[in-house]
Amino acid sequence: MKNGYFQTRIRGIYKYISENLYLNRPDISIKDESFNSTLLFGLLTGLNRGKELIIGEPGLGKTTSAEYVGSILYRYPLGVIWGSEVSGHPEQTEEKIIGRPHLGELNKGKEKVVWSNFAQIPVKIVDEINRLPETKQSMILNGVDRGNWEYLNEILINDEYSLFATANYQDRGTNTIIAPLIDRFDILIESRHPGSNIAYTIGKEALSHNPLRHPQYEKELQQILRGENPYEEKMALAEGVCDLFGEYIKETLGIEGLTKEERRTINEERMALDYDVDANAFVRMALAELSFCHKFGQKRSVEVCEDGCHYTGYLCHHIKNCASNRLPMSIRNYAQTLAWFLEDDGVDLEHIRLVIPYVLAHRIQWKDSYLSKKEGEGRNDPFQIYLVKEATEEIFQRYSEQREYLLEAFSVGYRAFAGEAITPLEGDHPIYEEIKKDIGAKDEKSL
Amino acid sequence: MKNPFEAFHQAGARKREIPLDKILKSKEETLSKILAGYEDLLKNEAKDLVWLMQYSTVIKAYSIAEKGMEGLEYTAEDIEEFCFALDHSDQIPYLITGPAGVYISVLCNHAKEEEICLHLQDLNVKINLLGYRLPANKKLIVEGNVGDFTGIGLDGGELIIEGSGKNYTGAGMKRGKIVIRHNLGFNTGHGMTGGELIVGGRIKGLGKIVGGKVYERDQLIFPTDGIKPFYT
Amino acid sequence: MEIEDIIQKLWSGVRKKHLYPQLPLPTVIEGGEDVALEIKSKQLAISSAFYEKLKGKMDGEEIVEAVLDHGITHYMYCPWDFHTHITLYNEAKKVVRQKDQAQRATSYFMDVVTDTYCVKEKDTKIATLYKNLPKTGVHEVLAALYEKIWGEDLGTGGHEELVNRLSRIPYLERKRWRESIRKFTEVIQGILEKEVANEQQSSQREPNPMGEHSLENYSLEEIDRGLREFASAVEELQEFKETVEDLKEELEGKGYSAGGMGRGKGNAIDANLLYYMKLAESYTLPIRKLPIEKRGYLHPHAHKPWEIGKPFADIDLWTSFGKIIPGITQIWTKREGETHGEFEGTPDCLIIIDSSGSMINPREKLSYAVLGAICACNAYLKHESRAAVYNFSDALRGNKVVLEFNHDKERIYQAICRYFGGGTALDPDDITYLLSCAKKPDIFIITDMQITNLEKLIDFFKKIENRVTAVHLGTNVHTARFKEGTEKRKNISLFNVKNKEDIPKIVLGKVKEYLTSPSEGR
Repeated sequence: MKNGYFQTRIRGIYKYISENLYLNRPDISIKDESFNSTLLFGLLTGLNRGKELIIGEPGLGKTTSAEYVGSILYRYPLGVIWGSEVSGHPEQTEEKIIGRPHLGELNKGKEKVVWSNFAQIPVKIVDEINRLPETKQSMILNGVDRGNWEYLNEILINDEYSLFATANYQDRGTNTIIAPLIDRFDILIESRHPGSNIAYTIGKEALSHNPLRHPQYEKELQQILRGENPYEEKMALAEGVCDLFGEYIKETLGIEGLTKEERRTINEERMALDYDVDANAFVRMALAELSFCHKFGQKRSVEVCEDGCHYTGYLCHHIKNCASNRLPMSIRNYAQTLAWFLEDDGVDLEHIRLVIPYVLAHRIQWKDSYLSKKEGEGRNDPFQIYLVKEATEEIFQRYSEQREYLLEAFSVGYRAFAGEAITPLEGDHPIYEEIKKDIGAKDEKSL
Repeated sequence: MKNPFEAFHQAGARKREIPLDKILKSKEETLSKILAGYEDLLKNEAKDLVWLMQYSTVIKAYSIAEKGMEGLEYTAEDIEEFCFALDHSDQIPYLITGPAGVYISVLCNHAKEEEICLHLQDLNVKINLLGYRLPANKKLIVEGNVGDFTGIGLDGGELIIEGSGKNYTGAGMKRGKIVIRHNLGFNTGHGMTGGELIVGGRIKGLGKIVGGKVYERDQLIFPTDGIKPFYT
Repeated sequence: MEIEDIIQKLWSGVRKKHLYPQLPLPTVIEGGEDVALEIKSKQLAISSAFYEKLKGKMDGEEIVEAVLDHGITHYMYCPWDFHTHITLYNEAKKVVRQKDQAQRATSYFMDVVTDTYCVKEKDTKIATLYKNLPKTGVHEVLAALYEKIWGEDLGTGGHEELVNRLSRIPYLERKRWRESIRKFTEVIQGILEKEVANEQQSSQREPNPMGEHSLENYSLEEIDRGLREFASAVEELQEFKETVEDLKEELEGKGYSAGGMGRGKGNAIDANLLYYMKLAESYTLPIRKLPIEKRGYLHPHAHKPWEIGKPFADIDLWTSFGKIIPGITQIWTKREGETHGEFEGTPDCLIIIDSSGSMINPREKLSYAVLGAICACNAYLKHESRAAVYNFSDALRGNKVVLEFNHDKERIYQAICRYFGGGTALDPDDITYLLSCAKKPDIFIITDMQITNLEKLIDFFKKIENRVTAVHLGTNVHTARFKEGTEKRKNISLFNVKNKEDIPKIVLGKVKEYLTSPSEGR
């Protein structure tokens, strides 16, 4: 994977946004390179058609970072993206979010849907999603998850999209994001304060005009989206305008967005990257700790783990809920995209360790006792992300101690599953019990 | 169904063994055998977890222990591991200090080394009957405190306790030397017929001594004008 | 520069070998001739002088890789964190009873573990490095040990008796490290004593060629966490105290103080206080979340189809598209809004703690009474309330501490930990004074109830409306009298504790109850 053509362009986009539009400090590093997490993961979300939840204090660039990334990657002028955003407030309706009946046709007695821009364009931004009441959040579940939007008896299916949702911290007027919706987000990222020096620069050098706006192309796109053509035709027409906008930003800003075909190619390239053995084993080990319960068969949020269980040293004792199957999918998507971006030959442990905290932070429900122990500790990240970073390091320590033995256990598991009469290896970690379950061996540890 | 472990097909660990692995493995095996011998002794001698300290039971326990460790290859360090395991390990369900002491004495008496040093300072329990029948060509140094009946029946060997003992130390010793760095309890030297018992600290009380010499803080206290040999 | 180029070349491969440690690119230090490696706050630094010295005997890349393997494995395997480091030190100290010797024993043990792990699990040239290093004193013995347990020829030998004993230690079994370092220290104790004595005579210290292991390797957060874990793990308060006293200088030099990190040199560390502080961090309550409350007015919440017979007033004309047709027309359902509210004020807390002769001296043994009191204080301070302390023994004779309401953790802890060990009598006037300094604070009293003027206390409690939690140890005629005297008072809860280990949980249970239902009249 040493071609690097697309990667160079994406790096160019990263550089441009970080130097001109979303000024911030690097806060993560991987393979001796430093990045700003919000911008990096925003790009990765745009590349792998992910769903990102961005949290942060008001006015720290949550929405703007998503707008810039979406605009450049998908080559939609900023005005179109602004016009397509759904803002979270209690009076939002299905008609404003998804679509409405065509009033003229309705008066003639015909049902025809006018889809909202939000439902149509591939860059979907929901601003302050936690201000949507829970019923409204439920309404957009299917759309958020699969890109399927239904209204009256019609359905619109997005063949590609990325979703960015922003949320402030809890205050008066906010609600919780319902559990099914929050599980559908791939990652949680914080948009941080850039520090006083960079903040001053932002104030001083605020642009008089936004370089990603183009009124003419915006108008053309609005007309296309408002038009009466079938969705597929609209998107093909829109792609034509996006090509023009892409040329425009290449000429004026020196950066190249991606065509639909290029995005598809990138997606294929990144999906071809496989996990190395360590990454594979580590993810399994982490998943075991997040889903295992010796007493009750699996973690369930309604079943409380008691003190005195043999496994109190593992994460399963500190959490309330079980990891969903979306978790490994999100890990894979982002780790692969990250490895692709860095031009690595495959996904290794370093990619996984970087990605897991952001993928897991919003999905995990910690026990109160664990929260209260940790909340006083000094940190550089929001508490949710900090907890998972700590947890990831704990799991990593366990992994590095027993790596050889664990790999051998998997190897034995392979042979046993294939029918060989071989005794599975015993070990303290829940993963060994999971291996035994998979090969049908009996669990003889007493409850 | 697809094998979920497909990716680890070739991932059988490259096992690199270093000599440390062999040393530890051999150590564990030896310890297991020693422990097995101890458990046999308990099965035979302490059926209801009760063991009476009597002349005949001690002799019987000694011969059973001797039979149990026939053919066993071990070193002084293995004896020390066994002592540690007695106190700390889950492997030994019952610690009965009498049979344990006899067993350790057998191990010491039959060890290849002429000089054995047991570091027992960390033990929470004080083992009885250490140095039982220590033969002439042996020197046993124990670091730490010991229990009752230490060095009884000493048969020519040299027993050094870098700590304190309890009661009946040196009882029935025939020849040889026992050196106790600190204090002893009652009935010290009871029934001893020869040899030397040298105590660096205080002796709470002497037993009925027949022969030999007893020193307390560099002073000969038996035989003296005040204390005569006991003749039955 | 040559070494820097080598580091650049090797670094990614070495990181991959060790499963990608989160360490920055190592640097090079000039000088430091006798020491291969320095590790400060996770920054590895290789000595150029050391490199030059060995270059003639070994390939340059092999030198750098071996040194990096050693340094990274210290980070990734042994000791991994500060808690492990001080636990090992604590165990070594039990054998040698001397700080300097214990530190050296710990350092050597960690080196043996690290290098053995590397040799067994990784592809490394550490053995070749040791072959070419000078070997004197302890290092000669360790080299002989390495020869035996690694099966490599390091050009040394001898010390058979020591090596035989050292080679039986299971260095790679983490769970047995505590026992292993004791055995290790016992064996090398004689050599350590000689080494220290020689250095005292020559007033020159032989550095460890592979680098020292000091507190410089750890950040303040790591030290803080390590001390907390250590406090929970030790069996006796004295162990913690001894270890912290030993490391006091280094901790203070790093800017660690009992009051918190990052406050510069600050106050001297009080090991007793630190112990209870760290232990109390294991018994904590979560901060109360913003309560969800109703806003008191209705707002349009969702749509539902309009049915004939339903009122017209709630029809949403927009979503109905101006049509009044069943199936098209929609009406609003309204709901009282919920939102995150604000906190009500959390009351302050008055701790009354008995430190008479019948109670445990918290500076000698773990006192669960003191721990419970500290847990209660922490919970209130965390909610930004204040705490006051009335520590009494024979109060009428002046054996008391009256600390007014404040937020200063260290002062509060000191007041709680104070031990008089005298008679048992309290002065209700003191309590009255303290109660007057705050608005209806909650009261926690922890005592064995063997108070000479118990009747006065009972009368006092009968008159006050504050929420009172009384925790007493054991059952006696006094506890029965107290129970009888206060039975009818609904604001007083009495707990008889059989296992003193339950005190913190009982106290916290009550605190939780209080904080989630603030009392009236606030």
